[in-house]
Amino acid sequence: MPDAQLPSILVVDDNYDNTEIIQRYLEARGYPVSVAHSGDEALSLLEQVRPSLVLLDVMMPGRDGWEVCRLMKSHPVLGRRLRVIMVTALDEWDDRRQALQTGADDYVAKPFDLPKLAITVERNAAMLTR
Amino acid sequence: MPESLAGAPVEAPAVTPTTESSVVSHAPGHADGNAPGYAPVLLTDSYDPAVVEAAAQLGGWHVDVRPARDLAAAVARVPDARAVIVTTDNPNALRDVFDHARRSGVAVVVGCVDETMRRRAAELRADDWYRVPASADEIVARVRTATARAAPTGAVLVDRIERAEYEQMLYDARTGLPTLPVAIERSRALIKERGEVVVLYLNFVRYSKLEEIYGWEKLDAVLETTAEAVRDLLAGTALSASKALVSFTNDADMVLFHVPAPDRAAATDTEINELSQHLGTHIARRLEAAHGDEVAALCDIYIGVAHVYYNPKVRLERLIYRGIREAALAAKSVEERERAHKVADLRSSLRERLVYVDYHPIVEATTQRVFGYEALARGVMRSLRSPEVMFEVAAEADLLWELSRLCRARAIEDMQTRLKPDELLFLNVDPHDFADPEFSENDLSVDDPRRVVIEITERTAIKDYPKFRERLRAFRALGFRFAVDDAGSGYAGLGSIANLEPDFIKLDMSLINCIDTNFIKQNLVETMVRFANDQRAMVIAEGVERAEEFETVKSLGVHLVQGFFLHRPERPDGG
Repeated sequence: MPDAQLPSILVVDDNYDNTEIIQRYLEARGYPVSVAHSGDEALSLLEQVRPSLVLLDVMMPGRDGWEVCRLMKSHPVLGRRLRVIMVTALDEWDDRRQALQTGADDYVAKPFDLPKLAITVERNAAMLTR
Repeated sequence: MPESLAGAPVEAPAVTPTTESSVVSHAPGHADGNAPGYAPVLLTDSYDPAVVEAAAQLGGWHVDVRPARDLAAAVARVPDARAVIVTTDNPNALRDVFDHARRSGVAVVVGCVDETMRRRAAELRADDWYRVPASADEIVARVRTATARAAPTGAVLVDRIERAEYEQMLYDARTGLPTLPVAIERSRALIKERGEVVVLYLNFVRYSKLEEIYGWEKLDAVLETTAEAVRDLLAGTALSASKALVSFTNDADMVLFHVPAPDRAAATDTEINELSQHLGTHIARRLEAAHGDEVAALCDIYIGVAHVYYNPKVRLERLIYRGIREAALAAKSVEERERAHKVADLRSSLRERLVYVDYHPIVEATTQRVFGYEALARGVMRSLRSPEVMFEVAAEADLLWELSRLCRARAIEDMQTRLKPDELLFLNVDPHDFADPEFSENDLSVDDPRRVVIEITERTAIKDYPKFRERLRAFRALGFRFAVDDAGSGYAGLGSIANLEPDFIKLDMSLINCIDTNFIKQNLVETMVRFANDQRAMVIAEGVERAEEFETVKSLGVHLVQGFFLHRPERPDGG
């Protein structure tokens, strides 16, 4: 049952098309995927879903991705065994600095390149077993 | 850990809903893909083996099969329930399941045997449905879409977020210590009974500096060590009867309430004073063991004490806050006294040249050959052994230039005997030093300026840029070279580094710490290396403490490496 070994992923994006595309793509590769469409929803799902990886869009109305990442990482129990991948156009130097400040582990650039997304997810999944 | 130290859980509190003992899931095996001890539960009234198989495919879900009439109650009571597959044709049972599922945010999938069922499912707004019989794959897909749709919204969502936020506020995430309101609540009854509480304020100085130098990850780790050290030490003293240990979230300071249990005597003032003295050395020892001498020497701890007497006319919270303020002031005055001592120590150090220099090797990443040494000035006197402390005291006493002159002179004096002819000396110079009339390219008495690299930190803002660059040019004309220290520490991008036209770029330590697991750090360092190669500069990774970090920076093309993993700073006696 190799599928059961793949880490669960929480995909957070306010755009329904994006979440659907990502969900389908990752599920096809065997990852259990949950979806949230706002920062608040993602936070409320955190304890329920207990994802190992979070794909987190930065630009969301309400609590943005930075804030969500910071809060998730400061969860007393789950924060440490969670890897957060920011989804953003992180080309700017200070954006990447900010990502570090919030505790993010990786990022993928928008717009989506699905194979690249898969590589990013894989390399972070590999870190979980270490 | 004694029972009395109730306010110090080792494992941070679980924020998950508490499990009611009456509910046990009947699923075989354990969760595979999820955190240990947790698995989402799929409730159902269906005995179809395809449902069990679907749960396995979902990645370690538990299946909990119940008779249809019990299903609604289970939805409400099983804490980890995430979805329910209902197949009953009893309309009342079906409606009950929907009611409870809506309230607890559990997704409902209806397994429909006929068209009537399907219509009913649609009327009740099922999150999804499938036609019985269905393959496991089909069921998996339905459960997934249903759970995505059933995510809580509106009031339920707000409720849940508020609860999570509330629970996060009760305990400090890093140290697992309860915050002030919790501590007060816990000791309320006891304080009334004893009529007295002793408040100890533990003021940790320069923990913020730690964050600035090593990054917040390091400070978090240091806070954990500190909390642990405090707990362990207290366990063995008269204060073990203390009721609660409190930390302020987002601040390094800690408050300790000492309310002895009814059958025990309160700690005497002598005992408390002794404890204050021990605490400092004890924490320093633990920090040194866990994080090295540099970190330990940087941190100081000052303890203030205040007594609070119970007064039925005044709210207990106010009494305690007043006590905390008083204790904090007491700690502050201890700090000021210490500071006066340190200034005196510095003056005599300057007079008697009591500064020595450690040489920290910088090696080539690929060959691990020593390339040069960074000179690290330290005070001979114990109170000034940390360079950060020494310079901080100098800044307050307006002795910065004088101290810098001494440190530079020392580093250059020893260079002849300590360095091989082909090794470079990396010399730290603060941008402020360039304003010192005694610091000029000609006053720096070195035989061969080409062997000296002047390190300028990116942290200190440079005020007069054109003037500064002019000075750099004068140094450069004689052969001195430059390194930008702590590059990447601020939000300032590569442009500000390019402005200084450095020969070396020294990466900020916070970028190196755990770089092996953080891809953003790797990406930043990669960018920096590419930039340096364009500028014909070399990149130095400093603070490399682990083999994994070393291998990672090497693979990213970093040219030079410095850190405890390869070498510790070398003492003047060669030790």
